[in-house]
Amino acid sequence: MKKIVACYKWVVDEADIRVEGKARSLNFDRIKYKISEYDRNAIEVGASFNEKQGCQFLAVTCGANVEASLKDVLSRGPESIAYVNDGALEETDSSVTSKVLAGIIKKIGEVDLVICGEGSSDGYSQQVGPRLAALLGYASVTFVNKLELTEDGIRAERKLEDGVEVVELTGPAVVTVLPDINKPRIPSLKQILAAKKKTSEKLELAAIGLDSLALKQKTLDVSGTVMERKNIQINSGGMTIEEAAQKLVQQLKADGSLA
Amino acid sequence: MSNLWIISNTVETAYEMLAKARELVSDSGGSVTAFLNGSEYQAQEAISYGADLVKLMRMPEKTAWEEYVPVLVQEAQGQKPDIILVGATRRGKDLAAQLAAHLDCPCVTECKTIQYDGSKAILKRMVYGGLAEKTIECNEFPLIATVTGRTFSKWEVKETARQGTVSTLALPNVVKMQVVERRPKPKETVNLKDAPFVVGVGRGFSEASDVKLAEELAQAMGGEVACSRPIAEDLHWLPEDRYIGISGQVIKPDVYLAAGISGQVQHVYGIRDAKTIVAVNKNENAPIFQVADYYIVGDLKEVLPALTKAAQEVKGS
Ligand SMILES: Cc1cc2nc3c(=O)[nH]c(=O)nc-3n(C[C@H](O)[C@H](O)[C@H](O)COP(=O)(O)OP(=O)(O)OC[C@H]3O[C@@H](n4cnc5c(N)ncnc54)[C@H](O)[C@@H]3O)c2cc1C
Repeated sequence: MKKIVACYKWVVDEADIRVEGKARSLNFDRIKYKISEYDRNAIEVGASFNEKQGCQFLAVTCGANVEASLKDVLSRGPESIAYVNDGALEETDSSVTSKVLAGIIKKIGEVDLVICGEGSSDGYSQQVGPRLAALLGYASVTFVNKLELTEDGIRAERKLEDGVEVVELTGPAVVTVLPDINKPRIPSLKQILAAKKKTSEKLELAAIGLDSLALKQKTLDVSGTVMERKNIQINSGGMTIEEAAQKLVQQLKADGSLA
Repeated sequence: MSNLWIISNTVETAYEMLAKARELVSDSGGSVTAFLNGSEYQAQEAISYGADLVKLMRMPEKTAWEEYVPVLVQEAQGQKPDIILVGATRRGKDLAAQLAAHLDCPCVTECKTIQYDGSKAILKRMVYGGLAEKTIECNEFPLIATVTGRTFSKWEVKETARQGTVSTLALPNVVKMQVVERRPKPKETVNLKDAPFVVGVGRGFSEASDVKLAEELAQAMGGEVACSRPIAEDLHWLPEDRYIGISGQVIKPDVYLAAGISGQVQHVYGIRDAKTIVAVNKNENAPIFQVADYYIVGDLKEVLPALTKAAQEVKGS
């Protein structure tokens, strides 16, 4: 029986970030967290192999504040979860994250297939999957939108800029998946209740052999991207749609924007 | 003295990165090595675009290009490059991240700018789906940065006297993946990047048949129809190569007209450099209005036909 792990990141919901003032600083006051969208596809892949082919299926995560995510993720199909929750992970980069995840996966042991989203919806560095593959000595199979298990490996279709590459391999692999691989479930009430009975295992950094976590890069600044736009409403003050349409077209013509 | 590398599976991006690499080594008298998926001829071109050394990494037939990673790791341990720029295609990003893990070094994905003074590097990249820009400092080398096409400009080369050496890298003896098939992408149905006027269709369209309202407007304006991701990926009303945004196309038309699109950051990422942004939305608080130059609050079913009519009148006159 194959053992499958899906990795996910507990991220801030970027829709709640406010950009404020001249300095365009980011306000996180009203922030909510979510399972990164792309990782929901990864979790769904594992859940479906678990339900349809009887694979063993675990979720894995790490961060400074991930315990709030456990019920949510367990309602999406994994049989259990192993995680590291440590203040030292308040600020991470792809290098640190992949080392921690690799540590957890090695601790779990004998994992045949690791599934990640193609990137996270906050930083979108798209590195953790291939970095994990390198650290674990597994094959790296990225940007996959079709995945099958074979007797002793996988067959995957990678969607690349110039077309599709179909690959086969034997042995363990880390696969990153694209959003069009499946439709992640919205957990049912039954799945939410069942999640409460599932097990979660908290690991300490020391237990996975990591005591120093040096960031490879220092963030100097994060500020809202500037986009100077005119923000003019064309149909203010009771103008009809026809009038507004004419006014807009005239305006575009006057601006020299119409070919 | 610094030693720069560029690695790319597409030659155009390689040439662009070479110009940047030369700029980064300029004062130090260092060297630039290009690892290129290309021909002998393209290797010579790479030399005229700024490479001192070219190592060809040809696309293997039976396995993935990314399988060159162990060879690059060895090369890097020998040559000790300071900065490695990698073309940010999907293959490039995979290879860059694997290489970074093996070398235990930083990697910055899709950097927009990079400055380097010989001891530290400052880079910028987009985060939160294009909502914000992050400035990163790296003091640890090698540093890997991936770069998308057209981020930098290649040299204008006329006759060149530049000389360099070319060699070819071999794949490792043992590879993990077997490529069993490659299916080239069908020719793009549309070239959105060259269209001067683009109408974006969003979920505010209640039926597939309403898409023709956008097509009629695009036609009257001499433009093309594009869409938001859910229109292509969930509803399949328009083909995938027409959706705009961080995971789709990035366009720079004279005018982008977003109809029935709410204006989520991931979508706006793709239209940031449009000269003029126009929005039509029935919700007066739609976020798309904050990034629009002009907007009309109203039902697209009324507004689009009125715009088509107005455009036909102006064009006809
Ligand atoms: C990681 C990630 C990556 C993503 N990448 C992309 C991407 O590359 N591109 C992309 O587009 N999206 C992307 N998305 C999705 C994105 O977040 C939004 O969900 C999507 O852009 C919304 O599409 P929409 O504006 O068409 O639909 P909605 O958000 O549903 O907006 C519909 C709008 O239509 C208006 N409307 C309704 N009826 C009418 C009417 N009759 N007349 C006028 N207006 C009307 C509504 O007021 C509303 O503003 C991504 C999401 C994630 C999480």
